[in-house]
Formats: sequence, C-alpha cells, structure tokens
Amino acid sequence: MKRNDGCDGLTGISSWFQEDGLRQVLQEMEALYEQNQADVSEAKAAGRADLIPSIKLRHCCLLRNQRCVVAYLYDRLLRIRALRWEYGSVLPANVRFHMSAEEVQWFGLYKKSLASFMRSIGGQEGLDVTQDMKPPKSLYIQVRCLKDHGEFEIDDGTVILLKKNSQHFLPRWKCEQLIRQGVLEHVMS
Amino acid sequence: MFIADIKKDFYDVVANQRVALLVAADIDALCACKILQALFHCDQIQYTLVPVTGWQDLSTAFLEHKEQFRYFVLINCGANVDLLEMLQPDSDSIFFICDTHRPVDVVNVYNDTQIKLLIKEDDDLGVPTYDDIFRDEDEEEGEDSGNESDEGSEPSGKRRRFDEGAIERRIERQRAKRQWEARRREILFDYEQYEYHGTSAAMMFFELAWVLTKDTKDMLWWAIIGLTDQWVHDKIPHMKYVSDIATVQRHVSRHNHRNEDEENSLSIDCMRISFEYDLRLALYHHWSLYESICNSYYTACSFKLWTLKGQKKLQEFLADMGLPLRQVKQKFKSMDITIKENLRDVIEESSNKYGMKDIRIQTFGVHFGFKNSFLASDMVHAAAALLESTERDENDPTDNFIKALDALSRSHLDRLLSGIDLAKKKLIAIQQTVASCICTNIILSQGPFLYCYLMEGTPDVKLFSKPLALTLLCKYLLTAFIHSTRNKRCKLLPLIMAAPKDVEKGTVIVVGIPPESETSDKKNFFGRAFEKAAESTSSRTLHDHFDTSIIELKSEDRSKFLDALITLLS
Repeated sequence: MKRNDGCDGLTGISSWFQEDGLRQVLQEMEALYEQNQADVSEAKAAGRADLIPSIKLRHCCLLRNQRCVVAYLYDRLLRIRALRWEYGSVLPANVRFHMSAEEVQWFGLYKKSLASFMRSIGGQEGLDVTQDMKPPKSLYIQVRCLKDHGEFEIDDGTVILLKKNSQHFLPRWKCEQLIRQGVLEHVMS
Repeated sequence: MFIADIKKDFYDVVANQRVALLVAADIDALCACKILQALFHCDQIQYTLVPVTGWQDLSTAFLEHKEQFRYFVLINCGANVDLLEMLQPDSDSIFFICDTHRPVDVVNVYNDTQIKLLIKEDDDLGVPTYDDIFRDEDEEEGEDSGNESDEGSEPSGKRRRFDEGAIERRIERQRAKRQWEARRREILFDYEQYEYHGTSAAMMFFELAWVLTKDTKDMLWWAIIGLTDQWVHDKIPHMKYVSDIATVQRHVSRHNHRNEDEENSLSIDCMRISFEYDLRLALYHHWSLYESICNSYYTACSFKLWTLKGQKKLQEFLADMGLPLRQVKQKFKSMDITIKENLRDVIEESSNKYGMKDIRIQTFGVHFGFKNSFLASDMVHAAAALLESTERDENDPTDNFIKALDALSRSHLDRLLSGIDLAKKKLIAIQQTVASCICTNIILSQGPFLYCYLMEGTPDVKLFSKPLALTLLCKYLLTAFIHSTRNKRCKLLPLIMAAPKDVEKGTVIVVGIPPESETSDKKNFFGRAFEKAAESTSSRTLHDHFDTSIIELKSEDRSKFLDALITLLS
C-alpha cells in the first residue's frame, strides 16, 4: 500500500502535487473495485460464501485508500491556506511551482473570500487581519538579519541594507513579513 | 570637536533621526553598544547596528550605508586616524565618535562640522594647540607671489634696494616657516608617539543615560563590565581603574538605596549589583578553587607553577590555609560552607606570606535569582571567549559578535554559561602555552625588546590568531618571564609576540606590549614603530586593527621586519 501523505516539511508545500502517485492509487482502487465487482456477482450467482472475506478485505482497502487520498488533498489545502497568512496575497514563484492548477484556483478563491471578509469588518476601509498576529507590545522592534536580503524600503522612503548579522530597530509592521519569511529574527533583550 | 553637553549636542540631535552604529569588536564597545541600544529603544530612535573588525570593515560598512544614513555613531573606532580622509564622506554626514583609543587625531579634534567626539576633554589628552599645528597659508603666499613677480624684471636702483629688503624679509619668513614646521613635526611626533586608552566608552554612555535619567541597573552593569574589560585586557593603569571604580561605586550605591529597607525587600529575582573586594582568581566561582589558582596569571606567575618547586609551593600554600585538597579541587559552588565563609580573608593572609600582595581587587558582582551570581571579570572573560571563539572552522566574526552581544543580556544565560566554558578552555590553553614557552626558552631578548614566536604546531595556536587572546597571552607571558628570569635588564623590556594567523595566506599576527612595571602607564609605542619598520623594509603588512600595536604580516618578511625594528629601537 502506498502512503501518499508525502508532504514533509513543517509549513508550506515542499513537494510537488503527486499526480502520478494519486493516479496510481486511483488505478489500484479501480482494479480492486473491478475484482470486487466480479467476486460479488460470482458470489451472488454461484453462492460462494468463501469469497466474502476477500470482498470485505478489498472493500476495506478501498476505503482506506480513499481516506488516504482525501487526507492528502485536505492537508495540502490546509497548508495552502496557511500560505496566504504567511506570504500575503502574492505567492513566491517557487511555492506556486509546487501547486497543481486546481490548487492555485482554490487559493485564488480563498484569497477572494478572505479579502471580502476583511472589507466587511472594521468600518469604511476594512481591517487587515493578517497583520499583528500576536498582540503588539511596541511600535518598533529590534530585529537581526539572518541572511543577506539586499535593500529594503520602509514607509518614509528610506532604504535599509539588510546584511547578515546586522541589527536594526524598525517599525514592527514592516518587519512582520520578513520575520515570517525567516529573513529577520526578532531579538528580545 | 569635543562635545560639551552630551545630551544637547548628541542625543537631541539624533533623537528624530535614523542612526547607523558602527561598533568595534571588543567588550567595552559591546557594552557601550548595549547601553546605547537600550536608550534608543526607550526613545524609539531607529538605528542599524553593524559590527566592524578593522579599518577595511569600517570603510566597507560606511560605503554601504552612506546613502541611507546621515548620522553615524562609531564606538571604539575612528578617533586615532584622520577619519574624513579615510572615508571621504559627503559634507552632510556627521560622525559621533566615542573611542577609548588615544591619542585622538588632531584633524578629528579641530574639525568643527563633521566630527563630534564623545570624549571628556579633561581626560588626560594633551592635544597640541591649534596654532602649533595649523597655520593660515594664504596670506603668506600672496605676499610671496607679489614679491616674486618683481624679481623677473630688471631691477632699477630703488627697486633693487626695495627688493633686497623684500628678499631679506622673504628669507626671514621662510626660515621662520621652516622652524615652525620642524617644531610642528616634533610636537606631532611627541603627541602621536605613544598609544594608550582613555575612559571606557560604556561608562561614557552610562553617563549619558544618567544625564537623561534613563539609567537602569542593567546599563550600570554593562558600564561596569566595560570598565572591567579595560582592566582585564590591561588597557588602563591601575590608578585610573581605581578612580573609575570609585565613580561607578557612587552610581551603585544610588541604585542600591532601595534595598536597605527590611520590610520592603525586593524579590530575589531582581538584579542586585554589589561592590566586592574579591580575589583576583579568574572565574573561581564557576570553577574549582584549585583550577582557578592554577590558571589565573597572577597566582600562576607568583608561584611559578610551571616548575616542580612551584607546584610544591602551591600545595604548601593550600596546606597553610588549612584547605583540604579534596574540597579545593571540587566545584566552588559545592565547597563546604564553613570553608567558603572566610575564604577571602584567609587567602589574603596567606598570600601575603607568599609575596602576593594584591591578591584582592576592587570589583563588582551581580546577583539575580538564587543561582546566578557573576563577577564583572567573569563576564568579561566569557564575552571575550565568545567574541573570538574558534570552535567551528568558518566562524564569521559577525556571528561571534552577535553571540557575545547576546551573552551580555540577562535573558540569554545559556550563552553566558557557554561563554564561561569557552573562557575556561582559553585560560587553560594560555597557561599551558606560557608554561611551554618558559620551559623551552623560546623568548629571546633581541636588544631593545623581547621576542617570542609561536610555532605552527603549538597546541591551541588557532586560539591565538585572534588579537584579544594573543594580547592576553602576551601579558601573561611577560609576567611569567619576569618572574622566571634572573637577568635584571630583561625585566624592563617590552615584549613582541608573533603567532600564525592564516596558514593558507601565510600571514602572522604580531602584537607588541609595553614593559611591565609597578607604575606602568600602559603607553605603547609599538604602533609607530611597526609602521616605520614596515615602511623601511617594504614588508607586506596590514595595519587593519584599530589598535595600532597589532598588525598582520607575511611570514616571509618576519625576519627583516624584526631586524628593522631592532635597529629602529636601539
């Protein structure tokens, strides 16, 4: 039996949508189903009760395969949903590469639904709930750069050079994205 | 120029601006940086912190950030060279320099627009007066050129007389000018000959915090660590250390005022700083007493622990105090309480008998929580070991900087404890190297100085490719040598030490320290000496470190460099 829950990694989609794997499983299920069909009709016609355990066994396998496939698809969807909260509405190319066309479509629909929700609350302009995931303690935070990220522009137009191991004291809302991406690290002293 | 009012001229100026902090790689700078960061967090001043390890690093960092920042704060770097010439900044960049390196370059002192020195003016500076060094050349030239144009034409009688007068005046002026220039060279030579260190940068920034009444115990503790770093790495003379301790003691008693009350005592988790007249044994609270005695340079050199006789003396010393060996060799924290109670007095009494008059030193300790108590020197050793750790092969110096910076804050105790472990290894390595150097007699007297070269195969030689560790080794080696040699003249000589820095590139790091004496003022002339020797032999040297007495040199040029030094200094 193949295990399809092959999505390793903590968050995000790190492997391709396993089309081949899924197809194989579906083929297997079809084959089992055919065999079951044949056996059932034979059991009914020829009254062979000894085929019933094998039918039951195949049925169990089919159910299990179905559960695995559904779990796999659902898990991927949950991860894609988390991506919206992590990366924002535009996904980086390397992540989109790993998603199938249907998943991309699903992501678009989810984005739209989230956006309409955000517009509906919080008065006139709506409220961006993807900011401030944890209650903020201060306006500015101290961050440390974990890798070379190049230049980064903040609200008043000034550009900051993010070099490895440099520390900066920046407005919190600008840093959150980069912290989630792992470029910056929040330093508490 | 020197800043008179640190609040008005520095803090209020940067209050609404974004600042770039360029910080050198030594513990005093780290502490100063932490204090300044804490102040900036209080007032939400945006900053960017960039660690720099040498002049090249400083130039690169400046080039990278000069577009985005107008205000630069340099900590423990930049005062002793002509900064504007080195960095070539635009006219609107302003530099605030808080540096302990002296002498401060005269251009930095007399520049009114771009360079602001966060240094106290009365700090034993001895800067030459403006008129002695700079002179308005314009008037001179105008007169001269006027006279010269007369020379070309045929002089008539009257003009000849006039010209003679003019020529005489001109000759007189030129002679005065040459005299003035010779005097200027002499003054500058005297001023820049010796390199030494001034008040700790951390203490400077603590004072700023105090003036702003935003000082906290954490900042006070960092100021203490900065001062202790100067003492541990032998940068300031003993008298200055004692007077700075007195200054800090006033702040400590001010902060401890609240603890006096019996009824409203603070929780045990709060930070308490206390004045300690403690033993000069490195890390002894976190080690066993025996190990600490063996690996602290003061006791190791006084007993001469590299000899058998010395070991016996140590055993006698312990027996004299009535300390059983088993107790002394186990971890200090698990030692018997009855022994620990009067330990300091008992040790002081016994060490007086063995010729160690200064076994105790004035310092400070901190307590927070039930388990955590550290002396300032413990923290300095731990942070220095982290800053220069060679544990993994490609250690980025900025990685180590960040680790050492973390170790100084109270919330990263695990870092501090790992730093203490590294420091123990470092001290053991230093002691073993000193013992082997003395026993194999590789310290040679070259005439005006002593010289020692660490061969490549020496154990732990990688540790000594870093400046702070090598300076510590130098100091311990010199003390040990003075205790072990009979030659009276050699006891007054300075020491130069060379160790391999980068085996692939074939470079060595060379450090020079002044001679050891009771009333030493720690003034080091090797900076200039190295420069001149390198010039005269055209050796390939790299004067990258902020301390001019530490240079990098190609191994092949070692012998001719040394010969040049010998001729220069004899």
